Amino acid sequence: MLLSFAQFIQSTAFFTALRGSGYVYPVILSLHMVIIALFGGMILMTDMRLLGLAMRSYPVSDVVNQFRTPKRIGFVLMITLGILMACCKAEEYYYNDWFRLKMALLVVVGLHALIFRRRVYSRAADLDHLSPLPAGAKLAAVISLVLWISIACAGRGIGYIEPPLDKIHAGLLYLH
Amino acid sequence: MLIQFVNPLNSSALAFPILECIHIVGFALSIGTIAIVDFRLLDIGMRRQTPAQLAKDTAAWTLVGLGIMLLSGMALYSSDPDMYYLNYAFLGKMLFLILAIIFNYMIHRKVVASGASPGKTKLVAWISILLWTGVVFGGIFIGFLNPTLDLKKV
Repeated sequence: MLLSFAQFIQSTAFFTALRGSGYVYPVILSLHMVIIALFGGMILMTDMRLLGLAMRSYPVSDVVNQFRTPKRIGFVLMITLGILMACCKAEEYYYNDWFRLKMALLVVVGLHALIFRRRVYSRAADLDHLSPLPAGAKLAAVISLVLWISIACAGRGIGYIEPPLDKIHAGLLYLH
Repeated sequence: MLIQFVNPLNSSALAFPILECIHIVGFALSIGTIAIVDFRLLDIGMRRQTPAQLAKDTAAWTLVGLGIMLLSGMALYSSDPDMYYLNYAFLGKMLFLILAIIFNYMIHRKVVASGASPGKTKLVAWISILLWTGVVFGGIFIGFLNPTLDLKKV
């Protein structure tokens, strides 16, 4: 069902046109990377503040609360550009193991938010007076760093696999 | 005289992609910390801190990120120097990179530290963002403008 949806979405006129124009895809990919460059530092600095490695002269709440909105804007831009790319080559991505890993890691990011938002990020002001910071906050930061760096690496991995769609279509390979 | 030398990076299929990942983390850290100051100049983000404070407190991490980015970048370049030398996207990227680094350390820093007028600092922030955007675009287009596939030269 997911596969037929992938085939449907990439066959729409809009994504067929995007795929066909040689420069649109690399431009979207470049913008996706520009968002990493411009907003990725906010994730790194927030986590490193929780670990006591950066911005130590600012209260934790200043860092966590003030980066929240721009980080969300960055996330929305990132996801939008990512969806555009994924839909261009939806069927290929469906078979791409790095893409699958990246999606799984994004689900884990959601779980991370479910677990730690209430305990750490929403009550950053409580952390301002604690020194050293509680283990839970540091754990949240380490997991976040590992997750986001892994997501970037998995994203890079996507470009290294080109699932042999012609063979799959000819019934010579059964990948799904 | 021909010196036989095999770049160890080319002996392993994993070396290049791993270096690329390190390169990405390096530019997220270096450009990301510069962008935090730029966004502050545009009144986005860390508004309880002054731009000068932010620039001072992120400077060390910007430098660490630049080091990671430049070292991994040079290692990537060494895997196939001729290809990069002939690649217009790469040459454009190097131009933007040199301009961005010079701008960051000669102008950006001084304007931020001096607390110049908002009009001036906003212009500086936009120039900084655009220069680094140029660097990233150049990097991505290296892979799409492969000189060996240039039809004009076939």
